[in-house]
Amino acid sequence: MAPRDPDADALTTPLPRPPQWGRLMLLAAALPIGIYLLLPTLIVVPMALTKGELIQFPPTWISVHSFADYFADPQWIDSTVISLKVAAVAVVIASVVGVLTSIGLHGKGFRGKDALFGVILAPIVVPLVVLALADYVFFAKLQLIGSWVAIGLAHSLLATPYVVVTVQASLVGLNPALVRSARSLGAGTLAVWRYVYWPATKPGIVAGAIFAFAVSFDEVVIALFLQGPDATTLPVRMFTSIQYDLTPKIAATASLLLGMATIALAAQAVFALRGEPAARA
Amino acid sequence: MSGQTDSSPAPHGDALQGAAAAEPPHPRAVPALLRSIGRRALLLLPAAMLYGLLMVLPLLMILRLSLSEDLLHYRHVLESPLLGRVIENTLVISALTTVATLVLAFIYAAALWRANRGLRIVLFGLVLLPFWTGVLVKNFAWAALLQDNGAINNLLRALGLVEDHLSLMHNRLAVVIGMVHYVLPYAVFPIYAAMIGIDRQLERAARSLGAPIPKVIWRVTLPLTLPGIYAAGLLVFIISTGFFITPVILGSPGDMMIANLVDFYAHQLVDFESAAALAMMVAGAVSVLVYFYQRLRKEGQYGAA
Repeated sequence: MAPRDPDADALTTPLPRPPQWGRLMLLAAALPIGIYLLLPTLIVVPMALTKGELIQFPPTWISVHSFADYFADPQWIDSTVISLKVAAVAVVIASVVGVLTSIGLHGKGFRGKDALFGVILAPIVVPLVVLALADYVFFAKLQLIGSWVAIGLAHSLLATPYVVVTVQASLVGLNPALVRSARSLGAGTLAVWRYVYWPATKPGIVAGAIFAFAVSFDEVVIALFLQGPDATTLPVRMFTSIQYDLTPKIAATASLLLGMATIALAAQAVFALRGEPAARA
Repeated sequence: MSGQTDSSPAPHGDALQGAAAAEPPHPRAVPALLRSIGRRALLLLPAAMLYGLLMVLPLLMILRLSLSEDLLHYRHVLESPLLGRVIENTLVISALTTVATLVLAFIYAAALWRANRGLRIVLFGLVLLPFWTGVLVKNFAWAALLQDNGAINNLLRALGLVEDHLSLMHNRLAVVIGMVHYVLPYAVFPIYAAMIGIDRQLERAARSLGAPIPKVIWRVTLPLTLPGIYAAGLLVFIISTGFFITPVILGSPGDMMIANLVDFYAHQLVDFESAAALAMMVAGAVSVLVYFYQRLRKEGQYGAA
């Protein structure tokens, strides 16, 4: 770099652009990290296409027998159905409670609002294994160990903070005065919800519900503590069988989960893009 | 996670708000206030029930369980030879994970910061992908990559770099590889957020005064990113101490972490009192870390303002 004239007017002289090779080196350093982030996701589907009883990479023969194995195994299908039922309970409870809580917290600040918000986020912060043990002791008292309803209830607590956070984010743009004026003009509770809150919070509720579903469908530790012969969720079954052997069936299940996650991500992206102008208005 | 949890008040100040504030106190204002408090309480009631029944009550139940028989169970856990080993495992694995994560996250966040728009979207996509991939999918994939006849060993054999295989799985390195992959997004976002707050003119000024690039990074970029790095580091450490699945699948039995020990007491020894005592100690330790994390984030916010 040539020495600069110290008398040059610093405000009008264009400053030297940082050399391009610095940026290139940075991107070159980031590239392996990007591969590291991508790699596990990338190899799951090819591994499911292995012919044979043990997974191989690269797959020697392309075959979809692993998917057939998965769909033909009643235990794995049962677990999938149980996971879906558990997630449904969690999504419904977390969405209803989360939306009501966000509306309750909306508007002018009141004493203890921050503390209350901290309490609402607590399930994210409490170590999962502590919550799992507590849930075990609690549901054992109620003789609900091995019931998928218990797992769904435990997951609904875990998912509620995510709904509150996303719905709160979409409420930020809603002026509380709108709610007050709607009420003073004679709108009842349902009308205020239908015409004021719902249009404003819809993107947040959808995002929160997707989050809640993902949290529940992926959760292992609580589901492991509360499991029973008729309540083994898909992640718990995967966790148990990975410890024995890595079979193509697990790879097939992982591929299906990956497909679902992609759909969820895409759905969220679509809603975010469609909801953006409305939320910002 | 960062930023989303801020409960910053809505930007008010339109005409409606002003009109409402200027209104003279209405004779019905007091009952209206009471009604609004009642409405708020009613809206928060379901959450109070959910949290009371499914969080507070169960936690109180294990607290009581742990305190039964005169703290005997705490003594029992503290005297166990396993505990020291497991705490050491947890701290060492979490610290290794945190350091490795921060280094990678700093580089990655800097690349995000400096990339042009198109590349930035790709890099964001790559870092969001693990967020949406299930924890078991990730662990399964790492196991399949790292095992003796796994993808990495097959590749090394095909290239003639190894004769038989490298033992990449069932050791501490595998646990750290799996954990860093899991927590990396949690570190990239706070560090990136700190970086975009940096005034680019400062770096240009340092460069125009003759500082070479490494010095600019060390003396300008790094110090200005430090609040984000501290917050990310503590967050990553807190998350790391709670890992359960990864040590079981990718580690050896000797890599047991604290969450696995709670499970071990409950399921192998069927000693729920000791499990509860250990869980209480874990909750206490994590609460301290979370308290410091909250303080750090508040300070960071004021610093950035």
